[in-house]
Amino acid sequence: MGRSAPAPPRRIVATSPDDGSAIDLRNPALAAALSWLLPGLGQCYQGRTFKGGLFMTSIVGALLTGLWIGGGNVVYASWRPGENRWAFLCQAAIGAAAVPALIQSSLLGGPGRQPLAASPWFAPPLIRGQPVSEAYARRLADADPAIEADDFRRQPNGTVRYEPSQSGGQSSLWHLRLGRFFDIGTLYTMLAGLLNLLVIYDAWAGPMRTPTAADESDDKQGDPPPRGASRWTKRLPRR
Amino acid sequence: MEHAAERNGVCTVMDPATLLFAWMLPMVATFADRVPGIFFGLPLLALASLIFAATHHEDPAAIGLATVHWTVWLGGILGLVLAAVLLLGWIS
Repeated sequence: MGRSAPAPPRRIVATSPDDGSAIDLRNPALAAALSWLLPGLGQCYQGRTFKGGLFMTSIVGALLTGLWIGGGNVVYASWRPGENRWAFLCQAAIGAAAVPALIQSSLLGGPGRQPLAASPWFAPPLIRGQPVSEAYARRLADADPAIEADDFRRQPNGTVRYEPSQSGGQSSLWHLRLGRFFDIGTLYTMLAGLLNLLVIYDAWAGPMRTPTAADESDDKQGDPPPRGASRWTKRLPRR
Repeated sequence: MEHAAERNGVCTVMDPATLLFAWMLPMVATFADRVPGIFFGLPLLALASLIFAATHHEDPAAIGLATVHWTVWLGGILGLVLAAVLLLGWIS
């Protein structure tokens, strides 16, 4: 009894809307994850270097511009009463921004009471009465002109608490210092994140396109798309 | 000294490009004054058009054309909304 030869591994391709050529998507899930981590990286992995470079420069450029306009304070993760950062839901669509923000947030709220290397980058703002490490308090007093060393009160357990003389927390100082530039910087980083969702989809399923009359007739005659593939992707035998 | 336009029997004060520029400049300045931060929105408009175009095409030339197409459409629609808001503010 003869055994049939093992089926060749299949490759997932998309069709270019411009010339109809096949685009090898390789491993779409991995490409999408890479594009989440760094915009355009998934496209570079698929060999679409022009688009990868385009996405990388434009979206990372918008993210960095937003950070620069917002004084480096606009990307952070914070879920505390009175300090919920909803904008982070959009910013989190870029892994390069989301991962450091989540690390800084969890470290500042953890037992160490300070972000990585006591750096204020991507760290959430302090709220009144928040305990922090002495090293982070010193770093903030040195780095932020609006924060004085007197704004921190020493506690018996060795930590210090943020007790500023003025009302409000650290985010009030940021808004006071930056004015509308805080909101403009936030808008840039949010839009960069939202646009990266399109880039992630492009890495996962190839370029989007509007259906034509020929596509509609193909859909009626042909098989439905395979599981895990979008309407415009096909599984072909790997060469 | 006789002006060249007068010598030819044509009386023109300035050429159309200069006239347009002279009209446009104060309008743009007034617009920027009325809508603070408007120029921060223009790069975002171009960025959104570029990404939208690039996720619909593979060919660089097609991406460029689609970017212009989407910039005009998005800019037109958002410009109309802004004009309506400014008009309503002016009326009220």
